[in-house]
Amino acid sequence: MIRSKRLDACLLGFLVLSIGCVSPPKKTLVPGSPDDLPGCYAIFPREPWESVHRIEATVRGGGSSSLLGVTKGEPSERRLQSLLLTPEGFILFDAELSEGGIAVRKTVAPFDSPAFARGLMEDVSLLFLPPQVKPIAWGKETDGTIICIWEDRDDFRTEISGSMESGWRILRQNKKGKVIKEIVLNGPFVNGLASRVELRAFKPTPYRLRMILVQPLP
Amino acid sequence: MGLFFAGIASAQDWTSLKETFRNIRSVKAEFVQKRYLKILTKPLLSEGKLFFYIPDSLRWEYLNPLRSLMLQKGSTVQIYNFSEGVWRPEIGQAVEARRMVLAEISQWFQGRFDESKAFKHLYSPGPPARVTMVAGEGINRFIQRIEIVLSAKPGVIDRVEIEEPGGSRTTIEFRNVEINSSFPSEVFEKP
Repeated sequence: MIRSKRLDACLLGFLVLSIGCVSPPKKTLVPGSPDDLPGCYAIFPREPWESVHRIEATVRGGGSSSLLGVTKGEPSERRLQSLLLTPEGFILFDAELSEGGIAVRKTVAPFDSPAFARGLMEDVSLLFLPPQVKPIAWGKETDGTIICIWEDRDDFRTEISGSMESGWRILRQNKKGKVIKEIVLNGPFVNGLASRVELRAFKPTPYRLRMILVQPLP
Repeated sequence: MGLFFAGIASAQDWTSLKETFRNIRSVKAEFVQKRYLKILTKPLLSEGKLFFYIPDSLRWEYLNPLRSLMLQKGSTVQIYNFSEGVWRPEIGQAVEARRMVLAEISQWFQGRFDESKAFKHLYSPGPPARVTMVAGEGINRFIQRIEIVLSAKPGVIDRVEIEEPGGSRTTIEFRNVEINSSFPSEVFEKP
């Protein structure tokens, strides 16, 4: 019964978000040379940066919400601060992620649950901070596409593929090999930041974020 | 809670300020909003337009960087976002705070600064004349004070400056202000 309910939720996520609960085929990579390794980090800003995004969030059931997202990054310290604002400028959410964990400074309903804070900072981290370990595999295809795969201690995998010309895709898979998040980044890249980003989360709660860069600053 | 602070301006000044707003029926304007946040080295810029008709009809519309709309007609407030080519009703974030701000703005356009339930006011005849709204208990967790800078043109607000605890602030500059121009009442009813 529980399994059936999980399946229903999964199917609903599938209908709402087009894809979901998908196990992509495992890629067999031609081992890349050490020279290709920096390509694995091309999408992550290296210097301190800040940005403003227009964000359109779509949740299960079709409800949507438009917000402004302000983010500041200190890559060398692996520190990120994120704010969500209404169009008028009301701060709905303000939190900082650092080596010490997540510090939530301000939240307004419905953004006031610890699960939301954790999920949002995970998304921001996936988007702007490279994994802390070295990739377990990487390679470069003949068309210039770079593919890099990282594996966490808890067997979650992060796969990044693409190029600055064609755009990038980040896949996050759980230990069962199911895609739990997919991020597509499209150029032009401004100060290393993608102009358009689409994030789809499949598990445990499906949602979609479309982000358009409106104000990048180095 | 609207208190007049003696010593800043005379009762006569206050009476003449109220008089300048007496004939206002409607306001139409564009605005530029600058949101200063500690996290950002440059302010976040937004642009929009507004329509107001006495006593409490207001259309407050952002055009950039996010197309968003707040409609107030009487006690009814509707919020919309423009997404994928259509206006969609907002799920409802901070609706009460937004409702309160709309109510305050409606009072300012009528010179009814002394009727605010959330702020005390001080009047300084200038020039430029300005009304300082000081937040009362509760609301001061979000807003400390609001400065409303008045134009030399009677009944026109030039600029609003909003200060928050923690150093963040917002300025809103009004441009191309039209007083008592005519526009259809539907602007307050639908996107």
